[in-house]
Amino acid sequence: MQDTRILVVDDHRDNVAIIRDFLAARGYQVAVAHSGEEALRQYDETEPSLVLLDVMMPDLNGWEVCEAIKQRARGSHDVRVIMVTALGEWDDKREALRTGADDYVTKPLDLVDLGERVERNLAIVREGR
Amino acid sequence: MAAGIILTDAVDHARGELALPAGWSLERRDSADLIAAIDGLPNVRAVLVTSDDPTAQRAAVEHAHRRGVPVVMACADSADRRRAVELGADEWYRAPAGPDEISWRLQAATGRMAPAGASLANRVRRDSYEDMLFDALTGLPTIPVMIERTRADFKAHSELIVLYLHFVRYSKIEEIYGWEKLDDVLETTATAVREYLDSHRLRATRMMVSYANDDDFIFFHVPSPESGGEPERALTDLTGRVRDFVIGKLEEVHGEEVAALVDVYVGSAHAYYDPKIRLERLIYRAIREAANDARSVEERERRSKVADLRQTLRDGAVYVDYHPIVRTDTGEVFGYEALARGEMRGLRSPEVMFEVAAEADLVWELSRLCRTRAIEGMATRLKPDELLFMNVDPHDFADPLLEGIPVPDPQRVVIEITERTAIRDYPAMRARLTRFRERGFRVAVDDAGAGYAGLGSIANLEPDFIKLDISLISLIDTNFLKQNLVETLVKFANEHGAMVIAEGVERHEELEVLKRLGVHLVQGFLLHAGAPPEGIRLFPNEDVAAPDRRARP
Repeated sequence: MQDTRILVVDDHRDNVAIIRDFLAARGYQVAVAHSGEEALRQYDETEPSLVLLDVMMPDLNGWEVCEAIKQRARGSHDVRVIMVTALGEWDDKREALRTGADDYVTKPLDLVDLGERVERNLAIVREGR
Repeated sequence: MAAGIILTDAVDHARGELALPAGWSLERRDSADLIAAIDGLPNVRAVLVTSDDPTAQRAAVEHAHRRGVPVVMACADSADRRRAVELGADEWYRAPAGPDEISWRLQAATGRMAPAGASLANRVRRDSYEDMLFDALTGLPTIPVMIERTRADFKAHSELIVLYLHFVRYSKIEEIYGWEKLDDVLETTATAVREYLDSHRLRATRMMVSYANDDDFIFFHVPSPESGGEPERALTDLTGRVRDFVIGKLEEVHGEEVAALVDVYVGSAHAYYDPKIRLERLIYRAIREAANDARSVEERERRSKVADLRQTLRDGAVYVDYHPIVRTDTGEVFGYEALARGEMRGLRSPEVMFEVAAEADLVWELSRLCRTRAIEGMATRLKPDELLFMNVDPHDFADPLLEGIPVPDPQRVVIEITERTAIRDYPAMRARLTRFRERGFRVAVDDAGAGYAGLGSIANLEPDFIKLDISLISLIDTNFLKQNLVETLVKFANEHGAMVIAEGVERHEELEVLKRLGVHLVQGFLLHAGAPPEGIRLFPNEDVAAPDRRARP
């Protein structure tokens, strides 16, 4: 778990801080980004196994970032993307799926739920699928 | 690794806590002495700057980079961070930060700085330059690189042959399989092309390949001097061989179904060296010529496919595959989806056959033939209580002959309409469906979840069946989003008195999840095989349904 890297992307710094602290306390290495552009840069640098991605951001939105990340990851390493969204509607989920997302959590965040989702997605990465 | 030093001006770090590589140590200097230490100490591996004085920050970055040492900056606010970017700091973190975060930043920065002496800025520039010259997906050089590499040979041998591989995909491939599949297919094409070049060194001549970004590939071939120029016939042979090799590879890697949805056409052109004309211009002209040649090959092939289709319609040369749809609760066959295929080789794939028909404006004729064949087969292929699922294209609804199709017992026929193509006029569609319903037909919405229609518009059609698109099913066992979407649809269907059919079920894990989510019916290759792999029972309560795989007459 020491070398499991997670990238947390959200333009709200408070959200990022909460999620980062929560995940760091569970022993993950956490990188953060506060915009879509920064997320892609951080992604390239840290090659995380998991990305927590906010949908609503000012520059690139979460869909675009997710698509870009999934494109980059192809052939190099497996990355799971969990979308963090205030929206829970069918169309949004389908959009998330179209961009290659693997899971989602809705706001307001339930940290226990988040922790479980993170773990079950990482378990799949570890199994090498 | 030799002992290393990390220099810092930080006052407040609990030094012991930073996770540093074995043998490395952290040395603290006051801001005033930091620069001298950067310049003077041996084995400095990184500099950690926490000062918020811009002058001190700048000096640290400049001196460190001069020695090829990476800099990590602590940033108290966004102004600091902007400065870190502007100064070219290799890493930064938002202060205050825990020891983990700082250690990680340090590791990231030192890890990247591996080539001694090269500053990160230079490295990044070089990387992105290389990226521009080599296509990221295919790993092939771009045309400017090819021209540079060919220049000398072309001048020496005064002849260059350009082959242009025109990659054509039927629009369905992305719709059905998604862009990942298309990328995979392109990657396979590129690999096949490279493999061909490696294994077929053409009489010690030079041959190179490049990617034109437009899904097409370009080969440069400088014939050997002894060959005295490549005769036209040999060239035609070569284009044919390249094509066959690539198509063979695509079938091998992705299967016939996918390979049928792409085609490659190869054209060629000669360029002769002329010192009076700029070399680039000669080469680009040849590329254009070869591309035109490839397109005219494509034209010819398309015309011959249209001719094949007309022949098919005259002879009624389509056959029907009946794909079983199986109940998840009992494992019994519930019905079959009829899928028509052309008997002629190039029209085997239904997608291709219908795309050719659309080009030639023969969709109605082809659809009628396919429907007739599908219904004819009911008597012999289906048991009396089994349903026939039949695709009806939105265009078909405009066919005046559609509503009159003679069907012995319409109660056993389910009309599948796709959600993929947007239904523009819902009231008109509902009215048509009502007329069919009055005759006893049932209705399925096909490819649900693939198109852009939301749940509301699915409800609007009042379907008896909702067929989930393959994109929702494949690998559903590892994708929780898909599971959630399917769950939503099952709930929705149960509320509306409809049944859900999952299409494209290929793996046991998928089947298990679908059963758990309450999906009523399943369809896919997993259900096709005469018997499941030994030791596995698809449905515990039932001797496994063993429908015939192919219904070819």
